[in-house]
Amino acid sequence: MSPDGRLLAFDGVTVGYGARTVVRDAAFAVRGGEFIGLVGPNGAGKSTLLRAVTGGPDVTAGDITSDGRSLVRMPDRERARLVGVVPQTPVPPFALGARGFVEMGRHPHLGRLASPGPADRAIVAEVMRRTDTAHLAEERIDELSGGDLQRLTLAQALAQQPRVLLLDEPTSHLDLNHALQVLDLVRSLADDGMAVLGVFHDLGLAARFADRIAIVADGRVTPPAPPAEALDARVVADVFGVRAVVRTDPVTGTLAVTPILRGADLSPGASQVSVGLVCGSGAGATLMRRLALSGLGVHAGALNRGDVDHAVAEAVGAAYVELPPFGEIDAPAEAQVRQGYAACSCVIVTEVPFGRPNLPNLRAAVESRRPVVLVGHMRADRDFTGGDARALWDMALGAGAMRVDTEADALEAARALSGPAATTHPEER
Amino acid sequence: MTPAPGRSRTALVLGGLAAALALAIVAGVAFGAVRIPPGDVVAAVSRALTGHGGTLADAVIVDLRLPRVLLAALVGASLALAGVLYQALFKNPLADPYILGVSSGAGLGATLALTAFGTSYAARAVGVPIGAFAGAVLTMVLVVRLASRRGRLDPTSLLLAGIAVSYTLSALTSFVLVYDRETMTSVVFWMMGGLQNRSWEHVAMLAAMLGAGVVVPSLFHRELDLMLLGDERAGQLGVSVERFKLVALASASLVVAGAVAVSGLIGFVGLMTPHMVRLVIGPRHRALLPASMLAGAIVLVVADLLARIVLAPVEIPVGIVTALAGGPFFVWLLIRKERAR
Repeated sequence: MSPDGRLLAFDGVTVGYGARTVVRDAAFAVRGGEFIGLVGPNGAGKSTLLRAVTGGPDVTAGDITSDGRSLVRMPDRERARLVGVVPQTPVPPFALGARGFVEMGRHPHLGRLASPGPADRAIVAEVMRRTDTAHLAEERIDELSGGDLQRLTLAQALAQQPRVLLLDEPTSHLDLNHALQVLDLVRSLADDGMAVLGVFHDLGLAARFADRIAIVADGRVTPPAPPAEALDARVVADVFGVRAVVRTDPVTGTLAVTPILRGADLSPGASQVSVGLVCGSGAGATLMRRLALSGLGVHAGALNRGDVDHAVAEAVGAAYVELPPFGEIDAPAEAQVRQGYAACSCVIVTEVPFGRPNLPNLRAAVESRRPVVLVGHMRADRDFTGGDARALWDMALGAGAMRVDTEADALEAARALSGPAATTHPEER
Repeated sequence: MTPAPGRSRTALVLGGLAAALALAIVAGVAFGAVRIPPGDVVAAVSRALTGHGGTLADAVIVDLRLPRVLLAALVGASLALAGVLYQALFKNPLADPYILGVSSGAGLGATLALTAFGTSYAARAVGVPIGAFAGAVLTMVLVVRLASRRGRLDPTSLLLAGIAVSYTLSALTSFVLVYDRETMTSVVFWMMGGLQNRSWEHVAMLAAMLGAGVVVPSLFHRELDLMLLGDERAGQLGVSVERFKLVALASASLVVAGAVAVSGLIGFVGLMTPHMVRLVIGPRHRALLPASMLAGAIVLVVADLLARIVLAPVEIPVGIVTALAGGPFFVWLLIRKERAR
């Protein structure tokens, strides 16, 4: 291995088909031991970029190298000993045995007149064991499911004993169990020193398994960055046109990308009328999404970074006052919230529990002089303020606040109070 | 259910086919206008091989019947080999030298060579095979060009282009023949696919061309397997696809040219035999190539035998027999392929 270990390097690569350029000036490298994910909208050129490594599309500028040697000009046999590919296109059906199919991966290692020997058969058996396909060895590939074929194709690529592995949506035909199994395997191959470049449809899987992520969009590739940087909510919205909540999954500890809105115009200033929301801990997530779908703006009060509602507010483009994690709403923050709510058509108090730190949100709402909609009841299990929250709730009721039982009723009320600005999104029935 | 047949099974099938071919050849020599007991056939051939020839019956067997039957075997093997190659390289189960128009191209090339160089021995031995080869190669290039759109070869367009080109070239051949009445009579029968009046000279010529044409496919049988996965995948697994296609198609054109030069247009052998063989032995070319060649040889020896005895003493051109069997087979494949979509 050369000192820099760039097992797969795109050096200012422009690829396309004939006169049509698909991706230009791609410049990044995958080192041994590294797993890089390529994401981007359909048709952005992810697969084209990947396939260019093995000579499908035309490389019209730059070069694709491995340890400084051009893969584009390398003889096919030699390149096939270095680079294994799991393509997206299904294998044409013909009556070939699964073991023979995997054994085809040994081709670049076999001499012209040689047949696969015991060493080759041992490698085939090993890759079939690792891809959990050993039990399929005697089956015919034209009688297998798409998922089985996809794992056999991975086995075939691994039989090449490559140092670089290219995956084009390697789990598109797999159920969740097998998808995770395959990606665990690929992850461990990378950990053992292989350079892996994978095209992913599923942002969550990419974020979970890849070390770094590069985004392919508008004919360009962003420099690979750690998932949390590469996939923030703004990037997801820009690139995919989908508002998504991007946060660290508390169970897996990896980045989770949850699309929540599609198609609504959430650009700043798109909505004339805003609705205030007293929320937190996820109590406002659904309402925020549905308000945004109704074409209404949202002011979500003061929210702590790391709170679910903070992530949702960011995703739907809601206004909010940002607090540090677990930070209290201090006087300046409360003043800002008060100002925000004052500009709203009404303020909805969701079923969020109240403690000292977030009580100012409720106080700002009650004192906002705007119509207030209260969802549910202020039971003791919501009030951790020793009665202050209860007192504010009753004060609001006394001042004529509307009390509703469900979020749907609250939404209805908010739309009524917001006048003609509220529209109906197709998703809202 | 034949998942990846083992070595013993492959050996068994190949041995069985070789034995069946030997039997078919003996039967082909024995039956005809004069019926010869099979024992006499074997005796006459062994006498000829050991240099003790001489009787009139021996002369009939060794100089008339045997070259004809061996030539049928070689033509059948050549057409089957070409069929296997075309089907693998074009990933098209309906590909065959006749349907792709390559046979017609070779026929036109051979006819032009005959017209240009006359029917002298040298012209027939050198001019006709070269003309046929040139015709086959040019036709292949033309058909592939016609069927390609932006570098992609559409399977249906390939067949349509092949059939269209085939008709056009056959018409051109007829035109040349009408224009040049001298060679017409013999050539018309030859064009219909016949093995009458063939000599050891023809056997030697086709054996040489088939021998040359079989080298690349035999050495590159694994590449042929990989081509079944599609051009791009084959490239990813280490095949230099474009170069390989070039030499493999050249090999196919060579054996088709040889077959057409000695026996005219005989259709469907290259289409049918690989399919039948695949059902028994699977798609791996290491076994498929020799088995298809043996099966193609058997098919044509038997077809030629039928052509001679069905309306005896009148002979039917053997191309008519193969078309009678192969036409319906083609339709069956076409229907099955459509239903599989």
